[in-house]
Amino acid sequence: MENIISSQILFLADLIIFTTVVLIHLTKKNVYFIYLYAVQSLVVTFLMAYSAFIDHSLMIGLLAVLIFVIKVIVAPIFFLKLIKAHTLNITSSNYLNLPFTLVVIAIITTMAHSKFFQPLASLAPANENALLISIAAMFISLFIIINRKGALSQMIGILSIENAIVSFALAAGLEQGFGLELGITFDIFAWIVIASVFVSMIYKKFNTLDVSVMTKLKG
Amino acid sequence: MIFTTILIAPLLAATLSAMMQKGAKFLEAFTLLSSTIIFICSLFIARTVLADQTCGFPPYFEVNSLGAILLLVTSFISLIASFYSIGYLRAEVKKEVIGFSRVRQYYVLLNLFIMTMILAITVNSPIATWIAIEATTLSTAFLISFYNKSSSMEAAWKYLIINSVGLLLAFFGTLLFMAGSTALVNNHGLISWNDILANAKSLNPVIIKISFIFILIGYGTKMGLFPMHTWLPDAHSKAPVPISSLLSGVLLNVAFFAILRFKLIADTAVGAAFSQNLLIYFGLFSIILSALLIYLQINYKRLLAYSTIEHMGIIALGIGFGGIGLFASILHLIYHSLAKPLLFLTSGNIFLKFSSTKIAKVSGAFEVIPVTSVLFIIGILAITGVPPFGIFMTELSILTAGIQSHPVITSITLLALVLIFIGFLKHTISMIFGEKPKEIEAGEVSKLNLIPLIILASTLIFLSIYLPNPLKLLIERAAQIYTL
Repeated sequence: MENIISSQILFLADLIIFTTVVLIHLTKKNVYFIYLYAVQSLVVTFLMAYSAFIDHSLMIGLLAVLIFVIKVIVAPIFFLKLIKAHTLNITSSNYLNLPFTLVVIAIITTMAHSKFFQPLASLAPANENALLISIAAMFISLFIIINRKGALSQMIGILSIENAIVSFALAAGLEQGFGLELGITFDIFAWIVIASVFVSMIYKKFNTLDVSVMTKLKG
Repeated sequence: MIFTTILIAPLLAATLSAMMQKGAKFLEAFTLLSSTIIFICSLFIARTVLADQTCGFPPYFEVNSLGAILLLVTSFISLIASFYSIGYLRAEVKKEVIGFSRVRQYYVLLNLFIMTMILAITVNSPIATWIAIEATTLSTAFLISFYNKSSSMEAAWKYLIINSVGLLLAFFGTLLFMAGSTALVNNHGLISWNDILANAKSLNPVIIKISFIFILIGYGTKMGLFPMHTWLPDAHSKAPVPISSLLSGVLLNVAFFAILRFKLIADTAVGAAFSQNLLIYFGLFSIILSALLIYLQINYKRLLAYSTIEHMGIIALGIGFGGIGLFASILHLIYHSLAKPLLFLTSGNIFLKFSSTKIAKVSGAFEVIPVTSVLFIIGILAITGVPPFGIFMTELSILTAGIQSHPVITSITLLALVLIFIGFLKHTISMIFGEKPKEIEAGEVSKLNLIPLIILASTLIFLSIYLPNPLKLLIERAAQIYTL
């Protein structure tokens, strides 16, 4: 019974993450995809807390709290301040238009359920749907980085990939020890800080966050 | 104790540097002292590995023969780069390109960069290795954007994004590799490389194949293999030259080390052919791409960067061919790690004198900076595989290893190497010879910018002519470890 509940919960959680990633592609306002990232991170935190509860692990529970603070509170506040400081309300455009973007998302989702990735479902057969939808979310997040012209969107794309991988790991039962999880979380936090500083520096240099106008390296 | 020292020394140097409010000489002294300590510790570790096969601090750190080689190379090049940084930054300060705060930022990040590379080589867990390699990206991003120009900012952003994506894919691959081994977690919450290897035969072969593809794409991005190489020419050409020399000569080796460790596990689980074929194709396309771009290059730092992609391709090809190719690849890695920093650092002297990285704007270098020019020519001859330099022997051995099993690929590689040689010759002649621009005065930049280069060139020549037995033994053992 516990397995069925956890499978359902995991699938629902991964479905929410998948939906937020798709919505990030569709939204035009920077503020919205920060909120979508926060929702996605909240779901990952919930999964981690749930895992801590099932395993009666205080350390993983503490880690879930830390991740909540970093990903759901600190990072979105960081990003929102960045948007406010540079009045970046509207995100830069996509390379592909909306219908094409949706077609690519559909192809990626199909690919994630193809024979190539099917063997990964054997890691946790009860969570097959959750695992495959996490893989789809991972690749659709990668597509955000390719398709979006905004530096901020690319940042969110990277963080979304990370969320999708964490949700995959939780569904597959691949959680790491506390020390390593802490190291990974620290790396992510440092990444958020460094990338935010870069976004700010890029804006000051180029007066825009549209990476398609960054052409100084050519020649 | 030794692992604590080797990691604490750069961390302490970074911390003390960050606290300094004035006195660039202190920053230089901290970094030089730390690099010297790291080099001495590496020698001790290598000696222990020679005696006992491994050197470790279980369960957190373990260094095998290849680890010892990489540690020696990393610490030696770090020492040379730290030494060279003194003269290079002093010249930049003198030209008022940078101020004290920039110099401080440079030394803080340089020490952190060195520490993360040492950590990546010595830690005993795949996830900890990933954390350390990710940390190398974070510590170098600001070093690439060091000059705060639009182009360096763009290069740094590209580096940060592409490498982060690559490393996340590598992270995913790492998790999949560990899938069948979660039961092996020890009391410290770690799964070591050896644990996974010991359990490799029981791993799901299909999952291992998928995992290795992710690992190769992920860490291959960091290693600069085609088609994930796009960040490399930009980052290497925009970073200050001591950093370019570390990126090219050392950092890529660290990513290579991670690939090789996963390859051994994958080979044990599914047989060697799968990973070998992948490495051969990634290697071949890296060589072909760099051959074409080297010939057409207009910027000498980018020229060296594309040469790095070529050599990473050669190393991948050698591992793919297997047999003698593996030994030759490890030896090639050592020679490349000496020759490429020599070239980047000499190009630093050329840049300080000519204030341009465009090949067309550099001529008559031999007349302006004769010693640097001779060192540059030595580096070019070494990197293009001209005898008696070691790269000639390693490339010959790799091609020999492949000629029977993959004659077409070997022939294409040979043609590409010829094209690369012609390209380098063309660019070198135009830079070194000809008439010097009238506005540039003849004379070397400073002794500080020459001494480390002379040490580096001497080491390269010495190791090309004579391979000391302890080093040979380490390479043989490393090749044995990574052969099924």
